[in-house]
Amino acid sequence: MAEEQTEQLPAQQVEAAGKAFEQEFERFARFGDAAQLAGLDLDAALAEQRALSELRTRHLGKKSALAAAKKLVGRVAAEERPAFGQLVKEIEDKVVLELDAVELNLKNQIEEKRTARETIDVTLPGRRPPYGHRHPITLLRERIEDIFVALGYVIEDGREIETDFYNFTALNIPDNHPARGEADTFYTNDGFALRSQTSTVQIHAMQRRGVPIRMIAPGRVFRRDTPDPTHNPMFYQVEGLCVDRGITMGHLKGTVTEFLRRMFGADTVTRFRPSYFPFTEPSAEFDFSCFKCKGAGCRICKNSGWIELGGSGMVHPNVLRAVGVDPQEFSGFAFGLGIDRMCALMYELDDIRLLFENDVRFLEQFE
Amino acid sequence: MLISYNWLRDYCETQFSPDELRERLTMVGLAIDAVERHNSDSVLDVEVPSNRPDCLSHVGIGREVAVIAGKEVRLPRVESFKTEGRAEDLTAVEIKDVDLCARYAARLVRGVKIAPSPDWLVQRLETIGQRPINNVADVTNYVLHELGQPLHAFDFHKLAGPRIVVRRAAPGEKLKTLDGLERTLTNEMLVIADAERPVALAGIMGGEESEISESTTDVLIESAYFEPNSVRRTARQLGMDTEASRRFERGADIEGVLRAQERCVQLICELAGGVASEDSIDIYPRRFEPRTINLRPHRVRDLTSLSVQPVDVVRILTGLQFNVSEEGEQLICTVPSWRIDVEQEEDLVEEVARHTGFDKITDQLPPASASGEYQPSEMKQRLLRRAFNAFGFDEAINFSFIERETQFEPIPLLTTGEVQQPLLKNPIIEEAAFMRYTLLPGLLNSLRHNLNHGIRDVRLFEIGRVFAMTSLGELPAERLALAVVATGGANEANKAQAERDLDFFDVKGALETAIDWMSLSPLSFTQTAAAHLRAGQSARIKLNDGTEIGTIGRLAESVAANYKFRYPVYVLELDLDTLLNGPARVVQYAPLPRYPSVVRDISLLLDRSVSLDELLNVVKDRQVADFRSVKLVGIFEGGNIPSSKRSVTLRLEYRSDERTLRDQEIEERHAQLTSSLLDTFAAEQR
Ligand SMILES: [Zn+2]
Repeated sequence: MAEEQTEQLPAQQVEAAGKAFEQEFERFARFGDAAQLAGLDLDAALAEQRALSELRTRHLGKKSALAAAKKLVGRVAAEERPAFGQLVKEIEDKVVLELDAVELNLKNQIEEKRTARETIDVTLPGRRPPYGHRHPITLLRERIEDIFVALGYVIEDGREIETDFYNFTALNIPDNHPARGEADTFYTNDGFALRSQTSTVQIHAMQRRGVPIRMIAPGRVFRRDTPDPTHNPMFYQVEGLCVDRGITMGHLKGTVTEFLRRMFGADTVTRFRPSYFPFTEPSAEFDFSCFKCKGAGCRICKNSGWIELGGSGMVHPNVLRAVGVDPQEFSGFAFGLGIDRMCALMYELDDIRLLFENDVRFLEQFE
Repeated sequence: MLISYNWLRDYCETQFSPDELRERLTMVGLAIDAVERHNSDSVLDVEVPSNRPDCLSHVGIGREVAVIAGKEVRLPRVESFKTEGRAEDLTAVEIKDVDLCARYAARLVRGVKIAPSPDWLVQRLETIGQRPINNVADVTNYVLHELGQPLHAFDFHKLAGPRIVVRRAAPGEKLKTLDGLERTLTNEMLVIADAERPVALAGIMGGEESEISESTTDVLIESAYFEPNSVRRTARQLGMDTEASRRFERGADIEGVLRAQERCVQLICELAGGVASEDSIDIYPRRFEPRTINLRPHRVRDLTSLSVQPVDVVRILTGLQFNVSEEGEQLICTVPSWRIDVEQEEDLVEEVARHTGFDKITDQLPPASASGEYQPSEMKQRLLRRAFNAFGFDEAINFSFIERETQFEPIPLLTTGEVQQPLLKNPIIEEAAFMRYTLLPGLLNSLRHNLNHGIRDVRLFEIGRVFAMTSLGELPAERLALAVVATGGANEANKAQAERDLDFFDVKGALETAIDWMSLSPLSFTQTAAAHLRAGQSARIKLNDGTEIGTIGRLAESVAANYKFRYPVYVLELDLDTLLNGPARVVQYAPLPRYPSVVRDISLLLDRSVSLDELLNVVKDRQVADFRSVKLVGIFEGGNIPSSKRSVTLRLEYRSDERTLRDQEIEERHAQLTSSLLDTFAAEQR
């Protein structure tokens, strides 16, 4: 070949180099159309890329025919040099252009294929240990405690098995009151009561801390109800107490309303209705505007727009006297509500027995 | 209690519609559960608070409505009727047990004709759900619902004597009541007897033998006041609940006895004919003393923040028929006989406040005082819950009562010696009559419940109180406990298939993490036997000061069999009170190393009885120079290792604070430690 070349004119040699390229390039030419690459898998495309790279070296490298031909410029007559130069440039440009176009397509194709191969399913589960759940009653209790601590209340709890004095007498519940009966309250065989309200804690706290006092007592209480969809013989309650100089029912209403707004939203409205409890006087039951329908009426509020939530009132003077507090100097309010009931309302439980069955399919729904 | 709207309007004028009345009565403390149309009338279902028996009648509700409406209550007018003969010439009344009957009045109506009641009476009774019987019985029932005073009509000719004796029953004495049941009485029960035998259960129900029948011509009308507790006790014991007992047990109006009787007698004369006796035999051994209470009007504002004008205070109280007179700053209020609930000044404040309207009280927050406080251990408990959550444990809550239980070892400090569960005198769930001394039975039942629903991987924990008797008549011991149960696979979140099964170390690891999160001192675990745990896979948990707080391990086969568990179950229970008050983790800064450390691994073939703790303790006790730390790499068993042995690989770290150690120094130190371990445990190096 080399000998043949020397015999050829420089222009002929350049053209021959261009033709040789065209011949070898022919099989790659179709890659100029990106669509032609679609059928190629990643490995085949990489092989073609390598082949193309070799092709480029062969035809544009230092040892290529084109490079050799360019060196013949000295043997070209001076007047033909511009034309020769032009020819070399044209052929070289064409080779570069064709190679570039095809290589770019191939490169894009390889990038695409590679991306496709390395794509992860981002919807696969994240790697994490199993996670458990707090009991819905704990969730609510913690929220309630947080609200009242922020309002300046202390949290208290006490015994669950109590003496008559703390469960009834100190709370001004008369000897003949039905709540004392064995039909309503659980007793141990030696006569202690399972506390039927956490007001017991209020008495202990007032004895220990004295007054003024602001406290809430969340806790487990017991009443002799046969389990059914709306009753359990054990449930959770939170009772609040605020005793100070100058405390009025206005403070009671304001505090309960503030609590319910923080719990159910700033647009919550409350309603206090006169009622009777032995440990408060005056006494009131309180309702709040239905958090679901905002008062329009729905299943939760039985179409009344109101949800009955708890009892409250001004601490009965006999209760204050029972812990040595002078009712002429101090006054206070107390309120109580059922955490289970709140839970049933908020999550629309149709059977509160579920709360103590500990079915994990139930427990895992609340956070 | 059902109230007829039309009937109510006999006693007070009101412009309020039934629905308005519902709203207004609710806001004075008489909640109306429902208002239902009944022909041309409406029926209000009133929820009367237990301290307001005076509201258990149409006149009673009328008194409240009158104050709401600013009108006066009109009592039924007693028209004149024919009378003849003095009652005491015709019969006699004796109260033997004055403690149970403070007043008894008897009056006769002779020559009545028993017949169905007229339409208006039938309609009124039917509207409030009462079944009409005959004119005399219906009138007594009518007056009960009108005035609230229960009355009873006896067939006078069926009374032996004829006389009335109010006395306790003789033990075992029998009475067939109007409902047809023969009752056996005790000597705590008050009866109305004639000269020979009981003819009625006082304040509860009449007897069948003296019942009004078509042949009755003369009737004796009883109007009385019976002691509330006595009526309640007797009614409970006999399982009875009647219109009469409901009123007597809450407290009737002792001063209203004669008025109701007269109204009844008048209506009987009018509807059944007959001639009444000129008077009643009214035995009234324990006279009513009206209560007088002083009200300082400023107490209304002090307790409610309402500013009520004195004139309105007087209007409300006199409207409710208190007798009010002014004396200086104070109002002297005489309480009407039917208001047994009003005993002190605060009760009057409530009367004024509820008729002024609780909705008029402005919401206010009390002025700020001290800062809030959680219970001392609350934040630790929150971390504890979160730690167990982070290891896949769901929080459970079980009832505090369980069956008698002996299989489980109680937590330390709950009791000394054999644990005695407090026993409930009146359980509601028969098989749960004992207070729990351990949380485990509840959790294991919860586990069973989940397995029954096809859930195999279950991890639960519970925080709750446990109980034990101390001595009879003393309050039982109560302690806060934590218990954990786990079974199934150690699966990841959102993955169906676990790569391995849970074991002892999953439960231990969760507990240790919780301890770290709570910043408590690390626990130690020593191999031990416990009644409910499988031998060889159980440990006692101790605080680092040595205090025992509980046990952890695999549930014993014998216990597992009782719950029909087929797969291993791991449990833990400890005294949470003690744990939460245990020593805190001591945190102290250690300077960062200035020279590099070098680690060497060592594998020892040891007797299986050598625990890792023992091994590590020896490593630390040797105090080899520049030794810094030791960590477990792994434990290998089986394969070519004899079954009585296991291979333990440890990674030991050496470092000096003065310089970089030379290889030879490290080899010397490591060799020293190695030979010491080999000697101490008669081990081989692998
Ligand atoms: Zn609603």
